[in-house]
Amino acid sequence: MSTLTELSTLDVLEAEAVHIIRECAAECERPVLLFSGGKDSIVLAHLATKAFAPAGLPFPLMHVDTGHNFPEVIEYRDWYVNEIDERLIVASVEDSIAQGRVQDETGPRASRNRLQTTTLLDAIAEHQFDACFGGARRDEERARAKERVFSHRDMFGQWDPRNQRPEPWSIYNTKLRKGEHFRVFPLSNWTEIDIWAYIQREGLSLPSIYFAHEREVFTRDGMLMAAADFVERLPGEDTFTETVRFRTVGDATCTACTLSTASTVEQVLAETRESDVSERGASRADDKTSEAAMEDRKRGGYF
Amino acid sequence: MPVESPMLHAVAVGSVDDGKSTLIGRLLYETGHLNADEIAHVEEASRKRGRKFLDLALLTDGLRAEREQGITIDVAYRSFDANGRRILLGDAPGHEQYTRNMVTAAAGADVAILLVDAKNGLTSQTRRHLAICAMLGVEDVIACVNKIDLVDYDEGRFTELADELIAASESVDGPRITAIPLSALEGINITERSDKLGWYSGPTVLEVLHDLDRLIAEEAFRMPVQWVTRHDEGGADVRALAGRITSGTVRVGDEVVALPGGKTSTVSAIDVLGESRDMASAPLSVALHLATDIDVSRGDVIAPVADPPQVATRVKATIAWLDETPLSAPARLEVRQSARLVPAIVEELHERLDLDAMKHEEADALEANDLGIATLMLAQPLAVQPYAVNREMGSLVLVDPGSNRTVGAVMVTEVLDS
Repeated sequence: MSTLTELSTLDVLEAEAVHIIRECAAECERPVLLFSGGKDSIVLAHLATKAFAPAGLPFPLMHVDTGHNFPEVIEYRDWYVNEIDERLIVASVEDSIAQGRVQDETGPRASRNRLQTTTLLDAIAEHQFDACFGGARRDEERARAKERVFSHRDMFGQWDPRNQRPEPWSIYNTKLRKGEHFRVFPLSNWTEIDIWAYIQREGLSLPSIYFAHEREVFTRDGMLMAAADFVERLPGEDTFTETVRFRTVGDATCTACTLSTASTVEQVLAETRESDVSERGASRADDKTSEAAMEDRKRGGYF
Repeated sequence: MPVESPMLHAVAVGSVDDGKSTLIGRLLYETGHLNADEIAHVEEASRKRGRKFLDLALLTDGLRAEREQGITIDVAYRSFDANGRRILLGDAPGHEQYTRNMVTAAAGADVAILLVDAKNGLTSQTRRHLAICAMLGVEDVIACVNKIDLVDYDEGRFTELADELIAASESVDGPRITAIPLSALEGINITERSDKLGWYSGPTVLEVLHDLDRLIAEEAFRMPVQWVTRHDEGGADVRALAGRITSGTVRVGDEVVALPGGKTSTVSAIDVLGESRDMASAPLSVALHLATDIDVSRGDVIAPVADPPQVATRVKATIAWLDETPLSAPARLEVRQSARLVPAIVEELHERLDLDAMKHEEADALEANDLGIATLMLAQPLAVQPYAVNREMGSLVLVDPGSNRTVGAVMVTEVLDS
């Protein structure tokens, strides 16, 4: 047994996240944890297991699979879910396309990133989920910095940023009408560095693409994109091999990698501390379409 | 033993155009929490708006409507480190119509950064924000006399405003004031000093944030139960009470009571997220094991037998009204306190606080952004304490059961029966 003498920032962030997770599980009828196999959702799932241990999770995990994910991440996803012995629901964008709910984009800039919103909202309706835990952080993006911890979505899945419920003293109003839901963000106050420091502290394993590896890439808009069968290249976008790693893990059509030789959590942490480029700036092509790209997608029901 | 908090909750407040967002942009920029691409983004957005300078306000004013109107509508939260201490900073809107968001941002804050325009001086909104800080129990205010460049870095003007600020805070029994002359635009006295203010020998904003004493775990132990866990351990059904310690310290062997029920037991084990400890303090999330199986459910408050909160069905309280539909008594609402939700009636509205004239006046209704004093009757007994004695036990939120909206923030001033 040990006696508490000192408290770290991570201890406080962990306690806050667990409080939010327990609060949602107690108040909402059918929560689900959105799990992509990315580092933030891995930290989130780990916190959730700690919040209820030694009992299991009182809610399932759900992955919105675009069909254009990195195979290493899907492999990790299945391994992890088996490891923690919990239930995973896979909502597939390809199914949405087959059902005619959405239409696949075509051409070199085609991405299924936007299509995910429909698949996600359909899955929420199908399973009658009233709360979706997400791993989003306020330091990621300007619109996210404005979002509440229990973020209300109307029957259409829409976010109304001008009319958010106040959350004084971390007291959360969890009342909903039928058909509405919450997006719940336990990692709101974490930074990218906190995530890596926590992964290190807790000894969590990650998909291999977070660490330096050799990959066939090409350059687009100043970013390094992974070459893949489903990504059509423009003339002049020739591929070459580089030693890279990914800072975020999303749809392969819009997630870029960075040059790196960091092959351990410690080295990634050191590199992140030195980095002069933000995580989304380094790796997300989808945010560069306009100044308020994220706000617009979030209003429509995106993650 | 008191523990120094590794994290400080700060809120930036003040009138519109006093430069709050610019100051936050500066703080992030100068502490290395702004990356090259974010700066490039601000540069481009500044150019698009015809600004001849780097408009750092565009960094936190992230919503479309905010950028279009050039004002802050909702609270933006950003984290940065002040020489090793984590600061979680909320940028609160200055417009009067968004005072409710300021209340949200300032509730639970340890320190407020209050911006005052050196040229324009204190406004009614400055006084209003000071009064709200006082009411919310914000203990420290860093009063930034901003745009000191526009008054030729004049020491006399700074001293005059610093004195006015201290007097204004004293008049509302408000927070401690540390006044700093600065220029958010030029980056003076945020993290770096400047020869232009050679007469100033006090601390920079970052130094105050780093040095501020904030001890936790000084008050009596309180833990609202969020979740009762059950699991099978070698055939035995093991129960634990999961929750976050909101104040104080709990030790194995402590005699505790579950309120409002009143059943008592002894703490037999403390599980801090998988680690067994002999003691734990706020703000940790834990699971408590009790020596005997007493009736405890979600929403109950665990407290020391020797020093429990009161249990009451009526309280007098200050209400910050947040909704567009005015409040008039009697009103049927719901009260949420930590993990408990109970029906409530706003029985009587005693008065409204006129924050501009700094006086109480009789009122039939509270409009959005108004503050008033009322008596609340609760459908079920609640473990409660005055906000000034224990913040977490005395803070409530009002929910309208018809619209489900969060309509009021409540600070208990008096527990009327027990």
